[in-house]
Amino acid sequence: MARSISMEAAGLTLAFLILTFLTISAASSTNQIQILNAERRIDLSSHIVKVFLTLKVENVMTAPASEIVLAFPPAQADHLALVKAQAAIGKKKKKKSYVHLDVNPTELRDAPNGTKYFSISLLNPLSSGETATLEVLYILTHSLKPFPAEISQSESQLVYFRDSALILSPYHVKQQTTFLKTPSTKVESFTRVEPTKFAGRELKYGPYEDRPPYSFSPVTVHLENNSPFAVVEELLREVEISHWGNIQITEHYKLVHAGARHKGVFSRVEYQSRPSFSGTSSFKHLLASLPPRVHSVYYRDDIGNISSSHLRSDYRKSELEIEPRYPLFGGWKATFVIGYGLPLEDFLFESPDGKRYLNFSFGCPLAETVVDKLTIKVVLPEGSKDPSAAVPFPVEQRLETKYSYLDVVGRTVLVLEKKNVVPEHITPFQGLLHFQTYIYASRTIDVGICIFLVFRGLFSLPTQ
Amino acid sequence: MAAAITSPVPVAWYPTLAILMLAVGLIVTASFFIYEATSSRRNRSLAKELTTGALASFFLGFGTLFLLLASGVYV
Repeated sequence: MARSISMEAAGLTLAFLILTFLTISAASSTNQIQILNAERRIDLSSHIVKVFLTLKVENVMTAPASEIVLAFPPAQADHLALVKAQAAIGKKKKKKSYVHLDVNPTELRDAPNGTKYFSISLLNPLSSGETATLEVLYILTHSLKPFPAEISQSESQLVYFRDSALILSPYHVKQQTTFLKTPSTKVESFTRVEPTKFAGRELKYGPYEDRPPYSFSPVTVHLENNSPFAVVEELLREVEISHWGNIQITEHYKLVHAGARHKGVFSRVEYQSRPSFSGTSSFKHLLASLPPRVHSVYYRDDIGNISSSHLRSDYRKSELEIEPRYPLFGGWKATFVIGYGLPLEDFLFESPDGKRYLNFSFGCPLAETVVDKLTIKVVLPEGSKDPSAAVPFPVEQRLETKYSYLDVVGRTVLVLEKKNVVPEHITPFQGLLHFQTYIYASRTIDVGICIFLVFRGLFSLPTQ
Repeated sequence: MAAAITSPVPVAWYPTLAILMLAVGLIVTASFFIYEATSSRRNRSLAKELTTGALASFFLGFGTLFLLLASGVYV
């Protein structure tokens, strides 16, 4: 009798403790961390906006914290291409090494005004009173809005950049500063949120002390940006693997100049005679970085071959410099195909446990371009089964079938799709494939059988 | 850690192999036709026809495969 009562009491206290623990951890996770110092450097030199955020965080509660949450306004979150985080290890300034941290989108309850969140998982949970320094890089695309929206050939391109002088965060920020790096010294206007200082090519907002969570102060900077606004609307890369020793890549590009639209006439005379004054925001060259040992490179479009291109290769990389048939001004488009072949042994490997995998790089080879929609189709040889791909960031995967040379059952195609791709996405990914060795002989046997039947037919030829 | 996968036949051999195999195949084909032309209906041996035909098909089959590979159609 007494034992059952004491067990009941023990059960109740346990339940009460669990409940209080849950409520504490759920309700006050945003009060757990305090940002001691935040420094944000926004690089506006190209049309891809790179933001480097250095956070020094402190755990002010007793429970250990295992994640730090980053907040983004919903308009900015739509244009977010990449969020990366790393933590410095080592106390000596010169011998710092960095460890990559996982960043995942997350949701918090009571998110004001549709704020989007990303959570950084710390390597070691932060105990009470401990501080940590994190470095975050996030990349925004299509965030520079051209204003005026239409310019003539001889005008310079001016764009709006809208952000907040105060870093949006679910935590209390003790001290923060934001630096904006502009491509030139010409800034038409910027919103002043004191203290603000503009000198040379740097605009400094801050330092601001003791701001509550979710404080936001919108600013607009109207600056000159003549860097090439090269955007590839659609890129289709076909990677055909042949076990006879070659990988053939065909890339279909739909390139557009996404800056201020060109209005009026295009005068070739003015363009060529005064290059520093006319067409300052246009571009006519594009650089593609290809792997070394590339062969049979071609660059053509619907009309035919485009001969204005140069290929320079060394033992580490090849560079293909292409020049479309016309320079690209705002709103102008160019559609072309680039194709090349690569040796199989650089990319296809067999692991000790017998599986074969393809080590290839995701992303667009063109430098400083944003790809709105990227599709990679890996065409595997006939007879490959169950392909899968391991990519460091989320992509959509599906399978298709393609009929090509000497095919009977068709080739499996692994299709990877991703939207909003920037050059920082150029990382190797691995495609795993199962493959049967009979594939080598089966093609020749098919050809041989056909020829044999021809001979058999010849038996019935009449002879004297 | 991982072994690179290459083709079972060295790629530099593709043109040479194509020409050799096609040449041998065409010679055997010629021998088949000569046999057909010179023998009369009663003396013809089915076994000899079949072996010559099979041998010619084998060499011509491989020869066309290597010809396709040598010309860049990596099948």
